[in-house]
Amino acid sequence: MSNKVAIIASNGSLFDAYKVFNIATAAAASEKEVTIFFTFEGLNLIHKQAMQALSMPEGKEFMAEGFAKANVPTIPQLVEMAQELGVKFIGCQMTMDVMGLKIVDFVEGIEVGGAVTFLEFAKDASPTLTF
Amino acid sequence: MNIIKTLDVKGLACPMPIVKTKKAIDTIASGEVLEVLVTDKGALNDFTAWAKSGGHNIVEQKEDAGVLSFFIEKA
Repeated sequence: MSNKVAIIASNGSLFDAYKVFNIATAAAASEKEVTIFFTFEGLNLIHKQAMQALSMPEGKEFMAEGFAKANVPTIPQLVEMAQELGVKFIGCQMTMDVMGLKIVDFVEGIEVGGAVTFLEFAKDASPTLTF
Repeated sequence: MNIIKTLDVKGLACPMPIVKTKKAIDTIASGEVLEVLVTDKGALNDFTAWAKSGGHNIVEQKEDAGVLSFFIEKA
């Protein structure tokens, strides 16, 4: 059985962030080796400023109250938790170039790489998840 | 049962109960038991699956007034 979980994060709303980091932290807490590849809008999730104020999908703003009530952790807290548990973050070099972003714009400890970097990790991962 | 530690994660939502339990179990020795108090309803299935993934043994679980208690013996 594979001990790796590979995740592609390619969307940048608050919902996407919870989907990605909940699965990632749960997997890491269950003895899995986890790598997340952040590409296109997914880069928002680890961008120092953007991650502080991710938007709700249009029309779903009413759910903000539910998030507060359910006592779910904030995204910066989940990012920190994920890194503490050893989850590896890879930022997509191509998207960063297109968006004019540098490694210093992101949380500490990320790696920057291309699709092949991710594919090499994901080749024997199970499952590979895309958000 | 050699209960060495109690972790209170009442009121916390997924995935925090599991994440905090993982951190707590890392601080105890093999054969020792961690007691976890949790109110997240998803925990019922999650803790069973989580224990299996790490080879830990849930020696007892009970529910009292909406609070679930798991007694987890570390592998």
